[in-house]
Amino acid sequence: VLPDEDDVRLHERLIAGDDDALAEVYDRWAGHVHGLAMRVTADHALAEDVTQDVFVHLWERPEAFDPRQGTLRSWLCMLAHRRSVDHIRRRIARSQRQVLSADVTDHSGVDEGVILETEAKVVREAVRALPEAQLDAVLLAYFGGRTYREVAQELGIPEGTAKSRLRAALSSLADRLEAQGILER
Amino acid sequence: VIGSEQRPGNGADMSTQADTSNPHGDVLDLLGAWAVGACDDDEIARIDRHLRECERCGAQAARLTAAASWLGADQLRPPPESLRARVLAQARERRAPAPLRTLTEAYAGQIALLDQALDSLGPEDWQRQEPRHRDVAGLLAHLTANDALLATDLDLPVIAIPGHAGPGARTAWRRQAQILTNGLRTGPAAATTLDRRVRLTTKRAPRPGRLRDALVQRAFETWTHLDDLGAVFGRVPSVPPPEQVRRILDLAMRLLPAALREHGLSRPGRAGRIVLSGAGGGEWTVPLGSTADAGIAGGAADVTIEADAVEFARLVANRRSPGTLRHTVRGDDALAPVILHVASQLGCD
Repeated sequence: VLPDEDDVRLHERLIAGDDDALAEVYDRWAGHVHGLAMRVTADHALAEDVTQDVFVHLWERPEAFDPRQGTLRSWLCMLAHRRSVDHIRRRIARSQRQVLSADVTDHSGVDEGVILETEAKVVREAVRALPEAQLDAVLLAYFGGRTYREVAQELGIPEGTAKSRLRAALSSLADRLEAQGILER
Repeated sequence: VIGSEQRPGNGADMSTQADTSNPHGDVLDLLGAWAVGACDDDEIARIDRHLRECERCGAQAARLTAAASWLGADQLRPPPESLRARVLAQARERRAPAPLRTLTEAYAGQIALLDQALDSLGPEDWQRQEPRHRDVAGLLAHLTANDALLATDLDLPVIAIPGHAGPGARTAWRRQAQILTNGLRTGPAAATTLDRRVRLTTKRAPRPGRLRDALVQRAFETWTHLDDLGAVFGRVPSVPPPEQVRRILDLAMRLLPAALREHGLSRPGRAGRIVLSGAGGGEWTVPLGSTADAGIAGGAADVTIEADAVEFARLVANRRSPGTLRHTVRGDDALAPVILHVASQLGCD
């Protein structure tokens, strides 16, 4: 897969110190980054902190992003996810997290203040098309911040099964998103 | 091309058993968990180490990470509007922006393209006719003279233009252009500000302006002459990066009100909206008779002109005319030709 041309150019401009490039990246992806941080942290103040951290980090260390390794969007989301999970792992005690499991895996409702773009609808369909068992595992890990061992424990399945469900879920999600043109093949 | 065929290891046949004797198996086994951040620190370190060396697993990791990054995208949630200013302010505080560097690199990019195009010229090509500047050498001499104007204003050395036509014209141009870019990058002009007063080139006498605009203009003119050269040798016209197209258009729109005045074509109290599509495009509302230099204003317009962004930039370079620019007009039909005519006179040929 070739690096995304827009990403390459934005990356060069960020390295050169062009703050207009940062504004462009923000305008394009802040909704994704903030939306993800909100889903994981369920906390407005934390989600804003994470969003701020992610874009300031990109500006401070643009060379940490490598357009050959994936898209800028994917990198920003990875960063936002990692920081959001750090927050909730620190914040929420294990007992409380058990209670939250049901919320995390409930993927039927859409919260207030959420934008449903055409692309978002396609993604939603692709996610919901995953087998229930895989979906539970991947949502618990991704939005619930669980390790695969915790996923195994909470779902009462062997660790090996948790690992393979996570991989199978992402792999078939990738297949679907590629078929829809959202991910490049 | 079917992507999955190019990705060995993306199959259902893979073992789900951890097997540390086979690093690929072990890593692939954990890769789903890794992509959703569900591994422990030791596993992450082991996987990252392997991914740095193994292209196959690296491709698989990138694919799964990309898929994971869309998990949250079914619910986009824009942050509060106030966050944007906070983020940009904090970013600028942590690392100072370098717009001088950006504009210098944009200019350097156009220089590199022109230099590359000149590579293929044979000795006899320098005398090939060029409609505006007699021949190819004359074209380059014209560009060099305009580069020298900025060099003078920045107290940088000026290169003498060779009297005879030939490859010497290229050497002189390249040296002058390098004196400018190197001077602005690390040389004596690197500490200067973009608000520094310099002269901008025009069709007639140079006009006072700022370094910010002069750098956009140098890159613009270098691009224009690259395409002039291309026209002589039957090459496909080039398109600058979108942000450079945008800078050219922003500059042109700012220069328009004063230019209308200079041409005696002011229309006090009236405004034109220019809507340009394609990469680098945007919308501008230009006062047609105001004494304000600002150029860009909101509010109602008497006429709307729509065109392609890059084509409009070519009009500003006088490489399109109001008659050859594809455009549509809504509103006052009589205003559009005036705006387009003056826009086509903004460049320096």
